[in-house]
Amino acid sequence: MTRTAVVICPGRGTYNKPELGYLHRHHSDRMNMFAAFDAIRAEAGQEGVTALDGAQRYAVGKYSRGDVASPLIYAASLADAQSLSDDIEIVAVTGNSMGWYIALAAARALSTQDGFRVVNTMGTLMQEQLIGGQLVYPFVGDDWVNDPARKAELLADVARIDALNGHALALSIDLGGMLVLAGNENGLKAFEQSQPVVQERFPMRLANHAAFHTGLQAPVAARGRALLGQELFAQPDLPLIDGRGKIWWPGATDTEALWYYTLGHQVTETYDFSRAVQTAAREFAPDLFIVTGPGATLGGAVAQSLVLGNWQGMADKAAFQARQEAEPLLIAMGRDDQKMLVTG
Amino acid sequence: MDRAQIVHDNFLTRVARRDLPEGAPPRPGLSGPEAVSLYRSQVLSRALDRTSRAMQKAGQGFYTIGSSGHEGMAAVAHALRPTDIAFLHYRDAAFQIARAEQVPGQQIAWDMLLSFACSKEDPTSGGRHKVLGSRALMIPPQTSTIASHLPKAVGAAYSLGAARRHDPEHRDLPADGIAMCSFGDASANHSTAQGAINTAGWTSVQSTPLPLLFVCEDNGIGISVKTPKGWIQASMEHRPGIKYFQANGLDMFETYAVAKEAAEYVRTRRKPAFLHLKTVRLYGHAGADMPTTYLSKSEVEADEANDPLLHTVRLLDQAGAMTPDKALKIYNQTCARTDRIAAEAATRPHLASAEDVVASLVPPKRVCKPTNGPSAGARSTTFGGDMRAMDEPQPMSRLINWALTDLMLEHREIVCMGEDVGRKGGVYGVTQKLQQRFGPDRVIDTLLDEQSILGLAIGMGHNGFIPIPEIQFLAYLHNAEDQIRGEAATLPFFSNGQFSNPMVLRIAGLGYQKGFGGHFHNDNSLAVLRDIPGVIIACPANGADAAKMLRECARLAREEQRVVVFLEPIALYPMRDLHAPQDGGWMTTYPSPDQRIALGDVGVHGAGTDLAIVTYGNGYYLSRQALPELEAAGLSVRVIDMRWLAPLPEDALRQATKPCRHVLIVDECRRTGSQSEALMTFFCEESDGIPTARVVAEDCFIATGPAYAAPLPSKDGIIASALKLTGVQP
Repeated sequence: MTRTAVVICPGRGTYNKPELGYLHRHHSDRMNMFAAFDAIRAEAGQEGVTALDGAQRYAVGKYSRGDVASPLIYAASLADAQSLSDDIEIVAVTGNSMGWYIALAAARALSTQDGFRVVNTMGTLMQEQLIGGQLVYPFVGDDWVNDPARKAELLADVARIDALNGHALALSIDLGGMLVLAGNENGLKAFEQSQPVVQERFPMRLANHAAFHTGLQAPVAARGRALLGQELFAQPDLPLIDGRGKIWWPGATDTEALWYYTLGHQVTETYDFSRAVQTAAREFAPDLFIVTGPGATLGGAVAQSLVLGNWQGMADKAAFQARQEAEPLLIAMGRDDQKMLVTG
Repeated sequence: MDRAQIVHDNFLTRVARRDLPEGAPPRPGLSGPEAVSLYRSQVLSRALDRTSRAMQKAGQGFYTIGSSGHEGMAAVAHALRPTDIAFLHYRDAAFQIARAEQVPGQQIAWDMLLSFACSKEDPTSGGRHKVLGSRALMIPPQTSTIASHLPKAVGAAYSLGAARRHDPEHRDLPADGIAMCSFGDASANHSTAQGAINTAGWTSVQSTPLPLLFVCEDNGIGISVKTPKGWIQASMEHRPGIKYFQANGLDMFETYAVAKEAAEYVRTRRKPAFLHLKTVRLYGHAGADMPTTYLSKSEVEADEANDPLLHTVRLLDQAGAMTPDKALKIYNQTCARTDRIAAEAATRPHLASAEDVVASLVPPKRVCKPTNGPSAGARSTTFGGDMRAMDEPQPMSRLINWALTDLMLEHREIVCMGEDVGRKGGVYGVTQKLQQRFGPDRVIDTLLDEQSILGLAIGMGHNGFIPIPEIQFLAYLHNAEDQIRGEAATLPFFSNGQFSNPMVLRIAGLGYQKGFGGHFHNDNSLAVLRDIPGVIIACPANGADAAKMLRECARLAREEQRVVVFLEPIALYPMRDLHAPQDGGWMTTYPSPDQRIALGDVGVHGAGTDLAIVTYGNGYYLSRQALPELEAAGLSVRVIDMRWLAPLPEDALRQATKPCRHVLIVDECRRTGSQSEALMTFFCEESDGIPTARVVAEDCFIATGPAYAAPLPSKDGIIASALKLTGVQP
């Protein structure tokens, strides 16, 4: 019997030290695809993904850069999405932030190589311009119980700070129980001073991240549209859920609008990953939510998004864990023990 | 065999065999992806129809009136903007689904299935109502079964033009929007529908902007009764002021092209249009209805052979947009997807307690910009010579007029409408000078149709106005009361507080007019209003109270979004004297504009404890007249003016009657169905055997001529009853 699944592609920050060698370890059968990516990198004088992945040493300063992390994550995630076992019917694809570009390729709205071009170009542009930064801060506690009042309070603080002279701060990603905020240095600092430290690590800055999904990225979006033409975008083969929770249906997609969303709205406006996951659940009701590698950190945000949406009556972390234990609903391919449940 | 299954099987086999019904080639206008998107909406609508039946069979679903055969409405949605307010026919799932495609982030299948399941998580109504409706899609949930939504569609369309001149603080609709309403060929015959269409034409020929698209979905039958052939076209084609369009609703390309043309006409010309869409009805009226019991098998099969989905598959193929094989794949995938979602939606919780259900009867309060009121200069300019008269005692009609003037001066979103309210200033002069003061677009002389007056108010309330409609006489309310009962009062309830249509409905009514009359101008029954949940009824008995209560009513509408009825006793409009000619005992001076009487506050005259007379309106006046004689008989009496008839001001009545040894209820309305019944019940349940009696009107209509007051409570009757109740000898 087939298992229906929504595939979720991760964004930046998922290719870390443990992931070094991911392509070689898990996808040695796809070296041709990676070689094609290397060729595209070579055109721009950039180091290939196979070399980056095959390096002996992981250096944070290097691997967290947009022009390095983005292509590696794309290659690993897309390879994972392509290696699902035959009994899995992908009913929709979505992604988080940069994962949107990967989702486009996984749904075949972009060819494998054009998807790589988009990711590599946008990752490079972001790195070149590196406008502003990001931080993460939770609005739920350890139990993941929804706290809309706390969320509203935090967003009010964000709006207050943004209105201050010389400050810019906005909601970058609605990421499960976390708010990813982005802004200029003044804005980020003001928030860090305004809110207490929780769970001993938040507010947490994200190294080498720019103020993604905010108006500060308008120049990057414009440059992206100039470099990446509409003709790259085709009808998806699979339904695609974007960072607003909108579904782009096969055969029914206005590809010009898809191009404009991808290199416009998506770059400069809040990315609502929680809504995307909830749309995946409510509009496709899949047996499985499969988060591709690399890494497994996005799994937490997916689970939290489901809990915040009260999916299958799960209202807290314990309920999710009980459900997961009884019959896994969420598969993180970045974890070897779970990957095997959906491959082979 | 179940016709839904037959239609489903037909689709599968005929598409697979490419045995598709013939028809005109696709008209230009839709791109390939647009056409496929509309087909997807049509297929989801169909899949939901099938799922709803399966859910009902499984005891998980509670709604089976389908949209099958009417899927062409997806193309109508596509021709409109998602901000164009749409009052939908109950067969318009495809419209709602296609509109959801225009607004990013919708979860339309899930939302509609929650609604089928009547889950309290249903975003339309919180588990209280039927399927169609959405705040995000500007589709107010309602009942469209008797076309009672058409008058408010006219009102909403009127509000679009009005808002361009007086932009209300809580405006909900964009200036370049239009309104749309849809209905079936059978419900087009309702007098309500006919009245609304007539009003639209009446308005349009006077060049008043009315951007409204009527869409009649003509499937040729109303449950089991056939519409005469050509009826809709013949009766609608030549309506003055309304442009007629016609399209084959089975052909989505044609429907889109014509709907677009019609919508453009409405939007650019700001005039109403009538789109006549020919459809078929598949499966019968609703789940339990078997069409083969009143139609021949061949008639049923002829409609099934014309399944609009089959036509769409043909058209998509002819347009090169999609092959039948791919179309079939979409159909099957959508059915499977819908089944999966339904299984989840069916597990979501329902409303359980009365408290849960009642929770949305009263709409939420809204924040309004504070106002300091009009400046002294503005008041002086507006009132003119009336200012000088304000220090002198005046009868009630003048004080209501002044209170209206102050309210309209302070709140530009207040609009009055009714028969003769403008140029004439009302039959009793209550709205005199208002049109000169505020213009004909804020004091609207309507045509003679109460349904249209109330529809205008509801529609304007939807768009942030505070309408103060007037029903000229209480007896005229009855031909239109469903606009309050079935529409205005239910809106917050059915939308879980997401939509509101606040208003203050002024009605001149009750008996005791000496020189004018008969039943139709002296109606004394409020029963039709009293039992409507959520509606507030105010009834002042003197001018100062009227002014202060009217201000509270306007506040309740404006800030709390309530539907309020302000019942004005006609006989007290001109009343000057209480006990003797020229005593001026019933006139009051105009209270300063900051004074209000809060909802639930009753008026207490006197502090007597032998007897409390509980009354309102003319009953209060008569009881006050009776007071000296009762006191002369040795009784210590207090007279309590309820002021607020609904909700019953229980706390205040309890307090006011607490020290009293007897309670006499004086109610000018009839023995049956009057306020007195509720009061008797209340005192019976509340007070420990305190003797209570009532003086009421007979269960009779009011006669013309000298016997006008014969069946009504009188001063003498009150005295006699009071003495009898208390056992005091005169």
